[in-house]
Parts: sequence; C-alpha cells; structure tokens
Amino acid sequence: METKENDKLLKNFFSEQKQEIDDNGFTKRVMRKLPESPNRDWIVWAFACIGILFSLVLGFNSGAIQNGLMFFEHIPIYYLLAGIFCFPLVGSIGYYFVQNQSY
Amino acid sequence: MSNTDDLRWVSQLTLLGDKSAFDKLTCKYQSPIRRFFLNLTMGDAPLSDDLAQETFIKAYLNINSFKALSGFSTWLYRIAYNVFYDSARAQKHYADLDEYVIDNLHQTQNEFSAEKMDIYKALKILRKEEQMAVLLFYMEDKTHNEISKIMNCPLGTVKTYILKGKEKLTVYLTKAGYGN
Repeated sequence: METKENDKLLKNFFSEQKQEIDDNGFTKRVMRKLPESPNRDWIVWAFACIGILFSLVLGFNSGAIQNGLMFFEHIPIYYLLAGIFCFPLVGSIGYYFVQNQSY
Repeated sequence: MSNTDDLRWVSQLTLLGDKSAFDKLTCKYQSPIRRFFLNLTMGDAPLSDDLAQETFIKAYLNINSFKALSGFSTWLYRIAYNVFYDSARAQKHYADLDEYVIDNLHQTQNEFSAEKMDIYKALKILRKEEQMAVLLFYMEDKTHNEISKIMNCPLGTVKTYILKGKEKLTVYLTKAGYGN
C-alpha cells in the first residue's frame, strides 16, 4: 500500500517537472556538424536498370513480349482509347481517397 | 510518430544515405535527449546541449550498427548514457566542482533554474546510477528491460537502483513537504 503511494508521489513529482524543450535551432546545428556521406542514389538506379534489362531479356527469350504486342495489335482502337481516358478518372478517385485517409 | 517511422527513417539513411531522414530523427528525439542530459548535469544547459549534440553525431556515424533488436529510442539512450559517462570520466566535471560553484552555474546558465531547483536538489541525494535509472524510469517512461539495455546491466540491478532511488526520494520529498 505504502509502496503504491510512494510510487504515485514520485510519478506526480516527475510528471510536474517534465518539460518539452523547444528545438531552437538545435537540429540545424546537429545537421551542420554531420560529416558528408557519399550519395548512394546510384544503387537504386543501378538495381532498377539491371531489373529492367533482366526482364526484357527474359521477356524476349520466352516470347512473352512478342505475344503481348500481338495481343495489343488485335485490340480494337476504341477499347484502347477508353482505357486511356479511364486512367485519369481512376487516378483522381484513388488520389481523393488517399487524401481523405491522411486527414 | 511511431517506431515504424523510426525504422523507415533509419532505412532511408542507411540504404540511401538520405540525410533528411536523420534530420527527422533528430527533431523527434532532441527534446527527450536534451532533457535527460539537463537533469543529469543538474541543469547545465550548454553542457547538456553539447552532450546531446555529441550523442546525435555518434548515432549518425554508427547508424549501421543499429540492428533494430531494441527500439531506436533505447539505442539512442544507450549512446547518450555512454557519452555522459565518457564526459564525466574525462572531465571529472562533477567530482571536482564544489556545491557552491554548481549552484552559481545554475543561476547563470540554466533558463529553467527557478522551477527546476527542486528536482536537481532531489536528484543530488542519489548516486549517479540511481539518478540515471530513476530518470529513465519516471521521467523518460522507459521499462525496466529497456533501462537494463541502456545501462548495460542486469535487470535485478536496475530494479535495485530504482528501488533505492525511490526510497531516498520519497523520504526527501516527504520531508520537504511535497504532496501534502
């Protein structure tokens, strides 16, 4: 019982003393003091290029790309146009839902 | 902002070298780390800011050693703990200064001195390890397990530090008329 009361006393004391310290340029000072690190964006691009190249080679060798192109050749032009015009509409609806979710 | 954000920012920093991710981490943790040092240095704001800065720079330089076995916050406090002890060992800052000098330093350097004197007086009656454990437990809301990782000592020892600290502080605060 006494332990609980002591615990409560200390919790109250420390929560009264707890303060949030304003940044006041502290983060900027830290960031200025950090050593320069090499930019590693090239890793993403390198892996992206390797991935694209790999999928192209695989696609051509298996004939999947040729089949895909033939498939598109046989689609009526109106279907393609409808698909293209639907794109912004679907995109806008998706964007609207994402925006609503973040608030 | 959750631990998931921390992990995302750490990944951005380690994989892409994205410094802005570290900016977000610093911004998020500057207040608790500076408060932690401010209490440990008995309100010496310039010294606590220097120590906090050193902590963040060390965290940046050693970010690859963060294995996400514990939270980023626990890892950062572990660095802060080491920075504080390295600084105390190097300067023997607190052992060599007498009480009068410390009090004078507080009056000139600490912007919160008037309101904070009570907590510094209370903390002074504890040993350094007890101060550390009590501050992490009551002020920074860390669990016993996290404190044991931060202070790199067994769970039982942490519990003893907190218990002894609690006993001493309760007596002190009751005598001072706090809570009446």
